[in-house]
Amino acid sequence: MSDFLGRTTAEDLLQWVEAELGERETLDRWIAHGAARTKAVPPENILHVVSGNTPHAALQSLIGGLLLGSGNLLKLPRGGIPEVDDFISRLPADLAAKITIGEELRDEWIARAAAVVVYGSDETVAALRAKVPFGKLFIGHGHKASAGIVWEDEGFASCAGAARDASRFDQQGCLSPRAFYVREARPGFARAYAETLAAGMETFSRAHPRKPLEIAEKAEIADLRAAYTFRATGDLRVAIWAGGPELDWTVVYEEDPWFPSATPSRVVFVKPLPADLAAALGPHSAHLGAIGLWPCTEELADRFSALGASRFCPIGRMQDPPWIWHNGGVARLASLVKWVDFEA
Amino acid sequence: MQVVAANNGYWEKRVAAWVSRPHTERFSDILPQLHAFHFRNNPSYHPFAKSNCVAEDVADWRSIPCVPQDAFKHADLRSFPEKETIKTFHTSGTTGEGFGRHHFRTLEVYEAAVREGWKLAGLSGGPFLVIAPHPDEAPHSSLSHMLATIAAREDFIARGGRIDLARLQATAQAVCLVGTALGFLRLFEEMQAHGMRCRLPAGSTALETGGYKGSGRDIARADLYAMFADHLGIEPDNIFNEYGMTELSSQFYARGPRGLHRGPPWAQAVVADPVTLREVDEGGTGILLVYDAANVGSVVGIRTRDLAVRRGDAFELLGRDPAALPRGCSRSADEWLTR
Repeated sequence: MSDFLGRTTAEDLLQWVEAELGERETLDRWIAHGAARTKAVPPENILHVVSGNTPHAALQSLIGGLLLGSGNLLKLPRGGIPEVDDFISRLPADLAAKITIGEELRDEWIARAAAVVVYGSDETVAALRAKVPFGKLFIGHGHKASAGIVWEDEGFASCAGAARDASRFDQQGCLSPRAFYVREARPGFARAYAETLAAGMETFSRAHPRKPLEIAEKAEIADLRAAYTFRATGDLRVAIWAGGPELDWTVVYEEDPWFPSATPSRVVFVKPLPADLAAALGPHSAHLGAIGLWPCTEELADRFSALGASRFCPIGRMQDPPWIWHNGGVARLASLVKWVDFEA
Repeated sequence: MQVVAANNGYWEKRVAAWVSRPHTERFSDILPQLHAFHFRNNPSYHPFAKSNCVAEDVADWRSIPCVPQDAFKHADLRSFPEKETIKTFHTSGTTGEGFGRHHFRTLEVYEAAVREGWKLAGLSGGPFLVIAPHPDEAPHSSLSHMLATIAAREDFIARGGRIDLARLQATAQAVCLVGTALGFLRLFEEMQAHGMRCRLPAGSTALETGGYKGSGRDIARADLYAMFADHLGIEPDNIFNEYGMTELSSQFYARGPRGLHRGPPWAQAVVADPVTLREVDEGGTGILLVYDAANVGSVVGIRTRDLAVRRGDAFELLGRDPAALPRGCSRSADEWLTR
């Protein structure tokens, strides 16, 4: 469990409550609110509709609901999520009793829930939004894609971390970087970065082999490799590094700055950072999740803040968001509570 | 092996003659020679073949390397001088990803392959009604050109994106209705909106093509064919599906909701493992490699993005893997119908 949620202590969770709700006891007692007092009241029941891409979102959403003290109706994708079952089996009985799981979305669940949190494709989010009556809280997390920006890294210090970010969760998560944009500190630097990243992908792959691929996934990776291998034969602006007998990993260097529409499992692009990254992102900027930066400085975050990402973090930590992460720009606890004021 | 030094139209003539009289040549003889011709005359194909360790001479057509479909977006896959190009078909493409181009020095082979393949598949000789963009409205669409090769231009009943429902209703004799799957869906929706239902004369047939790529819709073939029966009175067994693409010159056809796709004698489909590219066992799933001798002006081997199941001398089409790019003839036609 700690592999994908990180090591978590009770103190971490209390800090999350404090960061979002002001004080640790906000949910339990009246706290000062100007001249008055106030208390955060959680929804009695939260309906979480989660996707199967990664177990992250499901567990983070569920743990948030448990932390608030709400009842949790958890709609899992078909086939379930084993990590969720594992997590629930380890909970004390009184906490486990606050969770109901199922693979069918029942209307009765929507009726019971005071708040609905949905993770999925834009179509799924839109379809559920239409089903939830006015007056219930609705928070939708639709499609997201992420990217990395290497501003300065003469010694390729970020490559191992970039490989980790691109390999973990097999490009399934909203925090998975499809492309690293590398500033050309000198001609050929981005290509050299891609080559070093490829070595990092190989190292990660040996330490963390991927589960076997389905035929459609295999076809997708093999097709992408074939297409870029063809192009690399006659075009110096394209290069490809590929490893492993089971299509283990693939790095594509491409001077065309356009953000890739999709990247299959353990496939990542490296592109020279263009002068106008917003133009290169095109319609994807509306769906930008995180930007991994190297170095990760406030100045660089400010420089790229207009791109629309809701998270900047160092390359290498893209897949390890802290509990206080504003997923999609949303404060995940604060957005769910209702503030009740008391004026004496 | 017979060597033809110059690109003097020899191969176009020979393949066109073969297509018209399929028993006169053997696929296994012609394909290696076409590969050798392309190896010498197609500057984009030559380095690709060499990078696959394939030389000019191949003993077996299955050793011919298959160019990925995507290559048509980025390379000039032309086996003749650019200035001799008389027609270029475009794939529908997506924003930012560009579109593929298939160039032709003559359409003689292409049109012969369309006509003869149609006949060999047992498709109707007409009359036709076509629900797809008119060639004048879509001059770069291979689908429009293909359909205009079969049907007369006045048979296109959706000019300007508006389906002429009155023309459909006035049909007095058995007709072959031809169009994209999305076009037909639009037709059924319009018929429903107008409270219209018609029974086409007995013996009427239909051919649908294009799939639903990128449209956000996905309807099982059996369900679509049931709609034909419901709205038009055409029995599912009288409906054909066409599998083709801009990058090819020949088509594969399947009859009925569960029909398998078969090609003409001058085109072969191989269901192959996506990694090893070896043909899968009977009943196995893999990607479709298509070898099309009618692609005289470009390359004969195409590695498609479609998955299929090997079924004897035919294949069961599963379609594009889910994560591939949204594109397809049917989609551009749907955009055209909604503009």
